Amino acid sequence: MSDHYQVPEMPAQENLSFKLNGETITRAAASAETLLDILRESGQITSARAGCRVGRCGACQVLLDGRAVPSCLVMAWQLPGHHVETVEGLGEDPDFLSVRDALASESALQCGYCTPGFAVSLVAGLRQHRQGSPVDLAESVAGNLCRCTGYGGLRRAIDQLSASCCPDEAVGRGPSLSEEPL
Amino acid sequence: MTLDGDWVRNATSRMDLTPRIEGRLAYTTDQRHLPGLLHGAILRSAHAHARITGVDISRAREMPGVHAVVSAADVPGPNRFGIVIRDQPVFCDERVRYEGDSIAAVAADTPEQALAALDVIEVGYQPLPVVSDAALAEQQVALHNSHEEHGGSNLLARETLERGDLEDAFSRCTVIVEHHYQTPRQMHAFMETEGGVAIPDDNGGVLFRVGCQSGHRDAEQLADILGLAHDQVTVESTATGGAFGGKDELTVQPAAGLLALKTGRPVMIHLDRFESCRTGIKRHPVTVKMTTGCDAAGRLLAHKVEAVLDTGAYASLGPAVLENYLDHATAPLYRIEAYRVSGRLVYTNNGVCGAFRGFGGNQATFAVESQLDALAGKLGMEPSAFRQINLRSPGDAGSRDQTVRWTAPPAEVLAAAVASPLWRCHDAGTGRWLTGTGMAMGAQGNGLGDGLPDSGGGRISLSPAGHICVEFGFSDYGQNIVESIIQSVCNGVGCRETDVEVALGNSRGPDSGPTSASRSSVLVHGVLARILPGWMNLVRGHAAGLSGHPEDRLVFGPGGLYFNDHQVLSYRELAASVNLDELSASASQDFPVAPDAEQPVGRYLQLQIATVARVAVDRLTGRVRVTDLHHVTAAGRVIYPPGYLGQIEGAAVMGQGMALTEDMTTRDGCYLADNLDQYLIPTFHDAPVQRVDVLDSTPEDDPFPIRGVGELGIEAVAPAITAAIEMATGVRIRRLPVDPGDLLVGMAAQEQAL
Repeated sequence: MSDHYQVPEMPAQENLSFKLNGETITRAAASAETLLDILRESGQITSARAGCRVGRCGACQVLLDGRAVPSCLVMAWQLPGHHVETVEGLGEDPDFLSVRDALASESALQCGYCTPGFAVSLVAGLRQHRQGSPVDLAESVAGNLCRCTGYGGLRRAIDQLSASCCPDEAVGRGPSLSEEPL
Repeated sequence: MTLDGDWVRNATSRMDLTPRIEGRLAYTTDQRHLPGLLHGAILRSAHAHARITGVDISRAREMPGVHAVVSAADVPGPNRFGIVIRDQPVFCDERVRYEGDSIAAVAADTPEQALAALDVIEVGYQPLPVVSDAALAEQQVALHNSHEEHGGSNLLARETLERGDLEDAFSRCTVIVEHHYQTPRQMHAFMETEGGVAIPDDNGGVLFRVGCQSGHRDAEQLADILGLAHDQVTVESTATGGAFGGKDELTVQPAAGLLALKTGRPVMIHLDRFESCRTGIKRHPVTVKMTTGCDAAGRLLAHKVEAVLDTGAYASLGPAVLENYLDHATAPLYRIEAYRVSGRLVYTNNGVCGAFRGFGGNQATFAVESQLDALAGKLGMEPSAFRQINLRSPGDAGSRDQTVRWTAPPAEVLAAAVASPLWRCHDAGTGRWLTGTGMAMGAQGNGLGDGLPDSGGGRISLSPAGHICVEFGFSDYGQNIVESIIQSVCNGVGCRETDVEVALGNSRGPDSGPTSASRSSVLVHGVLARILPGWMNLVRGHAAGLSGHPEDRLVFGPGGLYFNDHQVLSYRELAASVNLDELSASASQDFPVAPDAEQPVGRYLQLQIATVARVAVDRLTGRVRVTDLHHVTAAGRVIYPPGYLGQIEGAAVMGQGMALTEDMTTRDGCYLADNLDQYLIPTFHDAPVQRVDVLDSTPEDDPFPIRGVGELGIEAVAPAITAAIEMATGVRIRRLPVDPGDLLVGMAAQEQAL
């Protein structure tokens, strides 16, 4: 254990300002503190969650200037001048509402720990789509892990979202290589 | 019938899933608003196996922000825990047996201060030889030789199940196949790592809000450890971010509880992924030799199994996993004249293994189903035709000669799988991708089984707000239990979904037993069937007195009670009119076991699954992609379609992970992977397209029409995948996870042989 944790002294803190869900906030933070910890310690944000802290699982996904990023890999010094959005701030966002309704109607969740992270990734994917990105909506969740569902409900929710946001594209394109997919 | 589309969407449309989607649901590790909250951290062993020569915590006490440091000397009660055998120290003081062993814990103002204090705790170690190979463990230094019950060897348990005259049966076989199989040390990899908070009360007791699977049992163990009366410990297992068996054993509770009592303040401990990987329990790796024979017509005659299960440093649920492994190794779906199925469960310094969805059963089924394919191949028979000959009929006894209850004839499950559209896919035998389709079957019992004490209760009442409040002791860790209970109550009462409130997992409430062994749904149904009629009469009687309408013409409906289709009383008005305890009912029941005369063996309520897998193998890299999984299930009635579907799909992808990528390998007792960037669970893009078809011929008046499906989906996935790989490449893989290198070598050998 001692090889991994050698931070006996508190690093210097400084005030930093950034926009969180539309409001400018100012906090004292060490420059290497992660955005995830800043959000969690604020007490206001519970949707971003620690899963791996190495940017792999997506449970802490937030929007940074509209792009989905794992908040465990964003450091305090990178925040000034930028806008962070979490699910808490997306309540009225039409893209989030479509995502929320698709996830709910397809029961695309079980324990729900990873779900806000998936929602954030999908909101970013929908926004990119509307800006003309040719990328498949399913690509937007490549950085999110779910251990409960086997992604079946998520696949159906993404099919539903794809059908409504980009009806011209092939819907239901799974990874199936079979000629008669199920 | 296929579980899909509107059937799923209609059911889910009446449930409120938005708190989970919007991140508003409070998980056990979310509790930041407790006044005076301290952060705890646990010092883990620096060695996989060592004698401890000294522990000095004095400097840690002086570190900034530190409020308490505890070690073995601070444990008031027995310094041990464990579900079956209490052999795991809360804090080690003489010896460490795996790298996740705890030695001391610190509570400080911030997590960083707690970790810094751990760093100055000095522990003297005298390394001992590491027992890392389960096959050799019994000849090596004993991990627990101080305990009489372990008999001075690393053999923790051994068991043999026998039926018929095995030697005679083998002598009559036309074909005999013998193979070795190996399955991995799979990690649960729940998204929320182990954690939660211990909160001291004013009377010397403690309240735990920690992710767990059995609040009542944990409360008992914790009271013993903390030296408290049982009624001084309360466990509230609030929403938990996944468990799958991995939170069945105590995790952070003992350390958090001791620190909370010592400081008089709430203490939160939340393991990071590194610590979770290193300390958490895993699936038992199994190596097994199976020898199986049949006659010229393909009838199974003889089956011999010799298995070794690596349970790691402590027992946890190992002995029960061994039992379930052996039960499944007897091939519960098939008639076999004679078998000798034996297994040995050994201690090693390789972490700790315990409960994990499937619970040994799916490890055994992987080998059994592979053996059947091997026999079919030798006889030149279709694997499905071979199974057809040997499947049990509904009236037959189970593999251990116990009475069993299926919910559909096994032959119908097989026939539905044979009719899968996946078999009609063309095999693209050229180009980079080799494709193939394979099938396997599996049986899964409900309940703890083998005559273990197994019962559970529940309670129904009206809440002050006018909800029909249903309480069970089960934990909610994402198995759709809340929605299933709501649906069952609506079906039974005739109310609407928003009338029902479900309260789970409080050790002060009804004891429902552990949330494991696919037992919750069976007990929920059984208990509700017992209490609903009487409770509804009670409420109607009271309502009749209030409204003046005749009792027998009052009907439960959305929002309240109705007379002649008009609501006469809302549930809220009813609740306000009475002492609520008077309008409650509770009951407990034993888990259904076979009505046989002797001590019950195996499982009575049996489920079946057939899984058809389609794979594409990359000829260049040996990587396997599972493109489709088609499951046929026979597991009783579907109460809540999205839950049933989600459990099968989720378990299947977990089984796919075990088959293709997941293994917590160790070297000299130390894990080589410590996070999700090294331990690869399936992603969205690895997951196959799935379809679930449900067969249910349970009679309308069947006493056990509802079965638990939490584990069924994992049962047959791995052997279906390896069967599909064999069809694609001609190579049969018997060691999981499938090593692309093994596969490429096998494919090269095939090509040379041609």
